Formats: sequence, C-alpha cells, structure tokens
Amino acid sequence: MTKGTAVQAGTAVQLRRVAVTGIGVVSALGNSLADFRSALASGRAAVRRLPEEVTRGSGVQVGALIDWDPAAHFKGNEAGSLDRVAQFALAAAGQAIAASGLDPEKTDRNRVGVYWGTGMGGANTLETAYSTVYGKNDFRLRPLTVVMAMNNAAGSNVAVRWGLRGPFANFSTACSSSAMAIGEATLAIRSGRADAVLAGGAEALLTPGMLAGWQSLRTLAPADAADPAASCKPFDKRRGGLVLGEGAAALMLEEEARARARGAPILAIITGYGNSCDAVHMSKPDRDGQVRAMTQALAESGLAPADIGYINAHGTATIVGDVIECEAIRAVFGDAAGRIPVSSTKSMHGHLLGGAGALEMAAALMPFGEGLIPPTANLVDIDPGCAVRHVPQKAERGDIPRAVMSNSFAFGGSNVVLIAERA
Amino acid sequence: MDTLARIKDLAIKELALDPAKIDPNAPLADLGIDSLTFIEFMFKVEDEFGVKVSDEDLRSIKCLADLERHVAASAQAAGKA
Repeated sequence: MTKGTAVQAGTAVQLRRVAVTGIGVVSALGNSLADFRSALASGRAAVRRLPEEVTRGSGVQVGALIDWDPAAHFKGNEAGSLDRVAQFALAAAGQAIAASGLDPEKTDRNRVGVYWGTGMGGANTLETAYSTVYGKNDFRLRPLTVVMAMNNAAGSNVAVRWGLRGPFANFSTACSSSAMAIGEATLAIRSGRADAVLAGGAEALLTPGMLAGWQSLRTLAPADAADPAASCKPFDKRRGGLVLGEGAAALMLEEEARARARGAPILAIITGYGNSCDAVHMSKPDRDGQVRAMTQALAESGLAPADIGYINAHGTATIVGDVIECEAIRAVFGDAAGRIPVSSTKSMHGHLLGGAGALEMAAALMPFGEGLIPPTANLVDIDPGCAVRHVPQKAERGDIPRAVMSNSFAFGGSNVVLIAERA
Repeated sequence: MDTLARIKDLAIKELALDPAKIDPNAPLADLGIDSLTFIEFMFKVEDEFGVKVSDEDLRSIKCLADLERHVAASAQAAGKA
C-alpha cells in the first residue's frame, strides 16, 4: 500500500496526499503564527490573573486571556454580529488563507471546504442571553442570539466570508474537536471529496458562568503565588491542574499535487490520523484508548515509532492526566520514548479546549521550520510518574525531524492523534 | 429630530449605510438590508423609540418609510408621541 494512505481503498485516491500550506493563529501568546512561535521559542507563558469582570464569583484565578480589540480586525459594526469565538475563527482563517497564497476568487470554491472544531461555540452570546433571562427576568433577546450562539457559527462564518462551498463539518468533541476537524479534513481531501479544506478550531468561553462550571470540576490550577504566569505546570510534581485559554488556529490543507502546481508553500504533509474512544468514563483518561489512537496514527502514516522526532503532548497538567499520557507514550514508543522530545505548550498558551488541537498542531509543526522544539514552561521538578524525554523550560534546537505527533485527548473519552511529516 | 431622521441616523450607525444613498422609499434589499439584518435592526429601533412592533406589522415593512409609519403609530398608541 502507498505510504500515508493505508486506510484508503481503491487506486484512484491512493496518491492524494494532504499538505499544510498556511497556518493562522489567534492566541494569548500572539495573534500571528510568527508571534506565537516566537513566544513558544522563548518559553514565555501568557497565563495571568483574570480580571474581576471575567472571573466574577467563579473563584477561577488565572487564564490565558487574549487582549482582543475587535475594531482592529473588523470594519464598522461587523464584530457586533459575531460572537467572540467567531471573531477569533475569522481572524485565524484569514491568516491561514493569506499565508497559503490560495486565492478563493481564482479557485473552484465548490472544491474547498471548511472543517471546524469548537467545544462550546458562542459561549459569550449564550451566557449573555441566559443572564438576561434569568438575571433580569427579561425575555427580550437579541434576534441574532441563535445564529451567534450556535456551535457551527464560527466555521460557517468562515465559509461565508470566503465563499468556501465545498464540504462543511463542525466537530464538537471537547478538547479533541479541532484535531478531529484536521484529521477528518485530511480524509476528505484524500478521498477526493475536496481539493482543499480550511481546518481548525476556536474557543472563547472565559465567561463567569463557564468558569464557575470549570471551577466546580476541581480541575483548574490555582494561581502560582509568586508568578501567576507559571500557574500551569505540566509533568511537574507541583502541578495543580489545567489553565483555561482562548483563541483559534486554522490550517489550510490542500491536495499536495495541486498545492505544488500552484507554487504554494508546503509546510508539512499530514500522514497519520488516529481516532479512538476510551468508552470507559466521561472525564477520567484511559491509557489504552490513547494507545489505540497513537498506534492507529502511526500505522496509517507507515512510520516507525523512532521516526517521530517530537510529540506535542495533550499535557493539561492535571494530576492524573499527565501520568496516563506518559504511560501511553511509553507503551507505544517503547525504547524510543526515552529519546523523543515531548512537551506541553499548554503551559504557555493555556488549554484552548475545542481550539487546542489546531493551535497545538501549529506548535507541533514548529520544528519543521528551524529545528526548534518548543518547551514545557514551568517544568522544574519532573514527576517520576511522567517519565518521558522532556523539554523543560527552554526550547531545544536540533535537526529537523522527519515527523511530529500531536495528541488531543478529550472529556467524553475522545482521543485524536495527528502525525505530520516534513515536506 | 423627527422620527424618520432618527431612524436614518440609527441605520447609518448600526448598518453602516451611506447617508447620501438612503432612500426612505427604497426596498430594504436595495439598501443591502437582508431579513436577518432587518430583524436585528428592528430590535435596536424598538430600544431607541421604546416601542414594540408586532410580528404582523414587521412583515408589512418594506422600506424605511414604512418603518417610520409603524414606529410613529406604535409610539402614539403607547402615548409617547
């Protein structure tokens, strides 16, 4: 079988490979791929104390909140008709399209799709509506409430903005949503259903009500007393839970031959997509489910474990989750696990939930640029239960790896693993 | 300021319409106002004038001049004129 298309049947589609030709990022670390990667390279965390108007009585102390000025991104009153999550999505998508050089006006847009991921969709709009109804007993809501709050609004706005009329899908599998969007978009291009797909995800749920929900789960890290930016400590003995973030990331995925024919930048080739469900518990991670997803991604790519040169871990910094993931990595990679650099960039940009997979793919592909591997910030005292080859605090420069892996493991037991190879 | 002038001002502010091109008798679609945009605009109009335009009346509004008549009638009925 042709490498990278092992799951495809039929000869007509076997040679279609999927290239990443553009990446867009909106994050607390910066609102461009260059700023995002520059911050990752310096090991700088964007986590900070949340202002009172955001956290209110929720008790949540820190988050990776974006200083977002809609007027810098949208004309006139346009932003007023877009939930914050859709604003992030449009900004990231615009960057990805521009970077790819793909001109929608000169492309058969019936062959270009949008596959998007988000956990909570228009959470700000929904919360505003509920606070009006329950808080003020006022049932007169904005007419755009439904179309701003609905889960598919972010992706649909992207499709409308650029007239992308090909296949559309919106994934909502919590923390694996946008990784799944990228994986499924890859399958759609391979199978011939589309020639290009703008794939990614966004999240914007730093609202008092959502924060209260998260806080009651008792899974969020308290503020680091000495340095709030250091509150998220994946794989560290002192870790106290995850830190929520917000933002978006978008990848322009294109059938490789078409992308090369038009002279597009080829940033990476997506060759492996693993997707499994733990099917054992709503929130407790399961080693075997994670192993199945990583194994499937490796098998599909045709790579040996030792071919992977960097793993961007799910690494949320929860007590249980980090240990399980490291066990799963050791189980899949065996001896190679001691040599493959693993880091969790959530330590710097926070957990984007539905947007995490896409943003972390943008981080995972970083070594293909200059061989620079992003670190796990705030990792000082490594938990022996998290024994893998870590990249603590400082980025490492090495040879450009042949392939990288990005893990996204979600509440509900959904596990998605993506593998990309250098172009 | 009369009702129509206030509606025009609101349309310029909320819908980014060109003041020079607002024809009160032009069909809403000709002003680039689609049905969803119009319903959202009506929400602002109701806030601005403190009136409530019924669903039935809403369906009969085809231009800004129609809107003015309904707003004026609603305001009068509410004793606000």
